[in-house]
Amino acid sequence: MPEKHVREYMAERLDKHILDSGMVVLGEPMDAVESVAFNFMLPAGAAVLPEGCCGAAGVISDWIFRGAGDMSNRQLGDALDGLGLHRSESVGSAHISLGAALEASNLTEALNLYADIILRPSLQADQFAPARQLAIDGVYSLDDDPRQKVMVKLREQFYPHPLGRSTVGNVAELESLTAENTRTIVKNNFNLSQTIFAVAGKYDFDDVCRQLEKLFAGRRQKPLPEIELRPKAGEYTHIDDQSAQVHIGLMTDSVTLTDEDYYNARVAVSVLSGGMSARLFTEVREKRGLCYAIAARYHSLKDAAGIMCYAGTTPDNAQQTLDVIVAEFNRLADGISDDELARAKVGLKSALILQSESSSSRAGAIGGDYYILGRVRSLDEIKDAVEATTVDSVVGFLRNNRFGDFTVVTIGPKKLSV
Amino acid sequence: MEFKQKMLDNGLSVIGEVNASAKSAAIGFFVKTGSRDETEQINGVSHYLEHMLFKGTEKLSALDVNEAFDRTGAQFNAFTSEENTVFYAAVLPEYLAEVTKLWIELMRPALRDDDFNMEKNVIKEEIAMYKDLPSFDVMERCRSLHFDGHSCARSVLGSVESIDSLTADQMREYFAGRYAPNNMVVACAGDFDWRQVCSIVEEPCGKWLQQAAARNLQHCPGSKKSKRLEKAGLAREHICLMSPGMPAQDERRFAGSLLAVVVGDDVGSRFFWELVDKALAEEAAMQFAAMDGTGAFCSYIRCGSENLSQVLDIVRGVFKSLADDGVTEDELRKAKNKILSALVIKNELPMGRLVDLGFNWTYLKQYRTIEDDVEAIKAVTVDDVRAVIRQYNPGEFTQFSIGPAKPS
Repeated sequence: MPEKHVREYMAERLDKHILDSGMVVLGEPMDAVESVAFNFMLPAGAAVLPEGCCGAAGVISDWIFRGAGDMSNRQLGDALDGLGLHRSESVGSAHISLGAALEASNLTEALNLYADIILRPSLQADQFAPARQLAIDGVYSLDDDPRQKVMVKLREQFYPHPLGRSTVGNVAELESLTAENTRTIVKNNFNLSQTIFAVAGKYDFDDVCRQLEKLFAGRRQKPLPEIELRPKAGEYTHIDDQSAQVHIGLMTDSVTLTDEDYYNARVAVSVLSGGMSARLFTEVREKRGLCYAIAARYHSLKDAAGIMCYAGTTPDNAQQTLDVIVAEFNRLADGISDDELARAKVGLKSALILQSESSSSRAGAIGGDYYILGRVRSLDEIKDAVEATTVDSVVGFLRNNRFGDFTVVTIGPKKLSV
Repeated sequence: MEFKQKMLDNGLSVIGEVNASAKSAAIGFFVKTGSRDETEQINGVSHYLEHMLFKGTEKLSALDVNEAFDRTGAQFNAFTSEENTVFYAAVLPEYLAEVTKLWIELMRPALRDDDFNMEKNVIKEEIAMYKDLPSFDVMERCRSLHFDGHSCARSVLGSVESIDSLTADQMREYFAGRYAPNNMVVACAGDFDWRQVCSIVEEPCGKWLQQAAARNLQHCPGSKKSKRLEKAGLAREHICLMSPGMPAQDERRFAGSLLAVVVGDDVGSRFFWELVDKALAEEAAMQFAAMDGTGAFCSYIRCGSENLSQVLDIVRGVFKSLADDGVTEDELRKAKNKILSALVIKNELPMGRLVDLGFNWTYLKQYRTIEDDVEAIKAVTVDDVRAVIRQYNPGEFTQFSIGPAKPS
């Protein structure tokens, strides 16, 4: 039966159990809520699929919902709808995530349906065409949303290939995708031994584990082959467009979650762009009025991480905007003040606690932690680690890890000099 | 949950719903003003003024304000619509007093010329940003066309021209008339001390002067016109449809929301099965917005230009079958489940609860518990929905589309 890891020193509890199939089951009970949220993380994200299949993960996350078990497309859709489920399917670098938030009393029925979707999707040929067409349309639609497009391109350029491969897809590769080879991907990549299930909110962990053990019974499977990394693509890419603004995406290296300097890096990003008093907002928007949207955030995969920045600005302001942003990144290592550190700390800690009230956020967070760290950090552990940073530790980290290359992507009527 | 309320002598409503089991608290200042309360000459002033409140007071500079908020770790911001300007913050309970004091100060801003001139650039950048988002642009244009001649036709952002010609004096005058205590609600939700909030609010806000802040509440039947705009470089066809609906004060608004879910929820709706499932459109969603004295159903559809006429035929077919046969018991049951679970999930966060609390008071002068809304949704029948369809006929809509140039 499931073991319960009760952490004495903190308010929240983590439930953990590993099914016979190797699937990891994680849970975080929340007393104050009537809802429950769950998330299946299947190892079929954009980076782990075979070459030439860019966009297949998006097709799969649609196709598997078009009928499963003994239910037709329409019957399955109606059954999910009848539970008042709020679905969220997303494709990341490593995983396809199938998530849902719902009233707690419907959890058992919902999990029965998701077992059919994951283990017994119909994957019928006549349903493949519309699933693929929607994925292709999604790529075209990106052209009408330059803010999103610039960030998709930025991840492609920044991360060593295929880690940053587009989660939206590539039209030529989507067009060459067939029902047959997509079925093979599902068969190979829906590997239960590498699947993480996370639940948060109102649930009974014993019941959930019993049900999942029955639904997802099976033997351990061989792990998927490791992906081979190739060098990152380039430093500056400009896409000419007749847009009103130049959309600027900029990214530079940072440390991953497993690094001893992780919290120093997070505090540094917060000083740069944590709140409205942070440096980028102050220098770019408040003092110079160059932008409406300007922000940087930490972005992490398992084996690589970066600081990712977006700014949208009219062509006449674009070069100055980029120059001020780069200068602010570089100025961080010159030093930060006690006040800046204090604001960064309270901002990070508050965000952590505020998001801990949402069952969906917690299900996402505990699954993400487990994938990257092999364990789940408690809120107290994170708070303590943020609290332990000092001006010296953050500045020391920045000086020993100076921002080197910036990967830049721009979309708009004007190319910039980088 | 415990509801508290108090009205100051100058007409300022202070309300709160205490939830001691929450980990955070949220506070909001709901000002009943937006683009519909402007004139053409000062179009965009409500939204611009929302930005200017963050620029400080006689005592605080913009940087002081930003630092003061960030010292509390608040997640704070503001938004402006056609009829509301809302300032809010979600914080850990121990910071609520500090952040409340700060908002109170900001509600009497300095509106300095220098700040006004600098922020003008930011507003124009924001207008440019939304021009690059056709999914947003088409909704703005459709709203203008639908509400043709009605005050709700006015853009929230304004145009580059109206913003360029706006003066700081015009903004000061607008501020004085609209940010009056009798035109605002202060609301709190989550874990907070009601008596402490009252003691913070009473003295400074009690000095604010009442104004005659009126609003034209005429209903708008909609123009039912149709327009298409061609834009070079676009990849997809962006379509917006609008038709009239009931106001926020109308009990039938729950039937309106359920109708929108049956027709255009992002999965499982009629639009979904007829358009998205068949890959004729990649997005097709309908929403219902109950407004002050009027209301609107609004659909957004995105598809390839080659599918445009087929998509519109199907949409007309969906509305015709609604007019002929209404919605089924099964559709209504599923729509209720979706809305009820969304309601529960949203209200678990003090920030989510704050929005409902503040708007219910703004529009209805009424406290509604979550259970009140749950009961009202459960009580809607297929006949109620049919009556809404009959009265408002969503098949007769205003249509705006933006897409690439058609091949000649």
